[in-house]
Amino acid sequence: MSELAVQLSGVTKSYGAKRALDALTLEIPRGQVVGILGPNGAGKSTLFRILTGLTRPDEGTVRIFGEAPGWRTNRLVAYLPDRARWYADHTAEQALRWAETFLPGFDPAAARRLAEFMKLDLRMRAGDMSRGQEARLMLLLCLARRVPLLILDEPFTGIDAPSRARIIESLVTHIGEDGPTVLISTHELHEAEPLFDHAVFLVDGRVALAGSAEELRRKHGSMNEIMVSLLR
Amino acid sequence: MEERRAGTLTFRLDLSQPLYEQILQQMRQAIAKGEIGLGEKIPSVREMAQSLRVNPNTVSHAYQELERDGLTETRRGQGTFITSSPEKVQRFREELARHMAREFVAGMRAYGFTWNDIARFLQEAQGRHVHE
Repeated sequence: MSELAVQLSGVTKSYGAKRALDALTLEIPRGQVVGILGPNGAGKSTLFRILTGLTRPDEGTVRIFGEAPGWRTNRLVAYLPDRARWYADHTAEQALRWAETFLPGFDPAAARRLAEFMKLDLRMRAGDMSRGQEARLMLLLCLARRVPLLILDEPFTGIDAPSRARIIESLVTHIGEDGPTVLISTHELHEAEPLFDHAVFLVDGRVALAGSAEELRRKHGSMNEIMVSLLR
Repeated sequence: MEERRAGTLTFRLDLSQPLYEQILQQMRQAIAKGEIGLGEKIPSVREMAQSLRVNPNTVSHAYQELERDGLTETRRGQGTFITSSPEKVQRFREELARHMAREFVAGMRAYGFTWNDIARFLQEAQGRHVHE
């Protein structure tokens, strides 16, 4: 398999007159935790949908571990869409059983450990859950998969501080040496940025700034500060 | 500034500066001041990363530097320990003091201060320190 987890070259995607991605070129090595950052409408979600094969680019090439995204790369990628929900009448237990049947690489024992760690009651119906509880369920369905690439689109939106801390801690147990490549987009930079090996700032569908998180801190300050200065 | 606890240690992390340097520096200080005892086991990279909620690669980087300093040793299958040699810690402290003194003197010299000036300022600073 390729040393690069993700490779995009000249990727353009428009929705009507709006260019979501504008000749985007990006390479992400394996095993890194990468913050995909930028204001709303910068192209983060479009990028993720292209990587998962849900959207096709108008131009350019995309590779996930050397393969074009599609049904064959599904076994390699766990994707948490922005504001993901589960079937309201399913309990978490049923969601886990569904995942075991349908999601490649799903590890039921890991899912149970995560549920305990995240303090999620498996008997609860998704429809009765708070946003934070449902977000934890959706995240654990991703984290319990033994796959080399995790894509998390705004995993903290609408989640209270204690749940966020729990989520961050469980992410820490998953990343690092021999861990998966993780792409995270988030506006909760304060809590998420210490997890990043690298950060990529997108503005108007292009890379405005990218580099190792520690180098960026040394040169420009925190990811939060960089974000503010890019938008000025 | 973020305060985070890991076992008996408290870290203060500033997200606008490289994190590994801050973890390294605060570990060095804790060892030099004896806040972590000789021969004591320190949390594993993963435990530390979890307590601090930072990337394990960042902690691992800091731990490698501590080992290079001679302040820690890794025992196969047992984890990482503070060195049990007081001489090693003493040597590290002295090297650090020498390094900081040299940097300070060079900095003062660069602004044209003579040795007498430097001594006077040091005495002043010490006086203030005593009164604090």
